[in-house]
Amino acid sequence: MAESRKPSPPIASRHCDDPKIDYKEVAYLQKFLTPQAQILSRKRSGFCTQCQRELKQAIKRARHMGLMAFVQ
Amino acid sequence: MFLLDNQVVRADWRQAKAMVTDLLAKNGAKVLCARRWDERKLAYPIKGRTRGTYLLAYFEIEGPGLNSVRRDFELDERVLRYLLLKVDAIPAGEMEKAAEEGADGYVVPPPPTDEVTSAERAVFGDLADRPIQENLRRNAPADEGDAAEGAEAEVTEAAATEES
Ligand SMILES: [Zn+2]
Repeated sequence: MAESRKPSPPIASRHCDDPKIDYKEVAYLQKFLTPQAQILSRKRSGFCTQCQRELKQAIKRARHMGLMAFVQ
Repeated sequence: MFLLDNQVVRADWRQAKAMVTDLLAKNGAKVLCARRWDERKLAYPIKGRTRGTYLLAYFEIEGPGLNSVRRDFELDERVLRYLLLKVDAIPAGEMEKAAEEGADGYVVPPPPTDEVTSAERAVFGDLADRPIQENLRRNAPADEGDAAEGAEAEVTEAAATEES
């Protein structure tokens, strides 16, 4: 059964030289959270290591400022 | 970015903003622009508040000043949260938005009532507007002893200074 399940496609394409991911762009960041408000893995986000690090930092900043939840 | 207590914002936005920019200036910062970013429901309660107003400011400061800025904001109850980041440049449009807000006739929408506060107000009336510090203590009972001790020590010291 598990074999027939297709892996979910990456959420968004991102060019590494795009402007830095902004912690204030909550709607954008929200796309990279699981329903439990956990950050999607690199595999699921489709980001390179550098972009994933940027994403993680932005989400952490947004959480600190009360813009995003730690848990759902 | 600074998350401000809506109680302060409700009283007077310009004053709330000046409270932050004055504190920055006091520590040697050159404030380039500051504006109301948004008023929002918080993703989780902070210091007993469920809503807050975000102030976005850009300023220049030397390293040592930054530490005293942090210390000051850490102690200020009116600032629920703050985030200080190093940026290469002020984003396009920021100066214009800040200038717009400073113009005569600009009206800042008053923040809606905080859900927790409104529920408390129904029971306690004006007492619901008590200082946040009490919310803090209620949320963190473990710290109550230390906080009380600290406050007492401060009062004693002040009294001693006055006497001498
Ligand atoms: Zn990348």
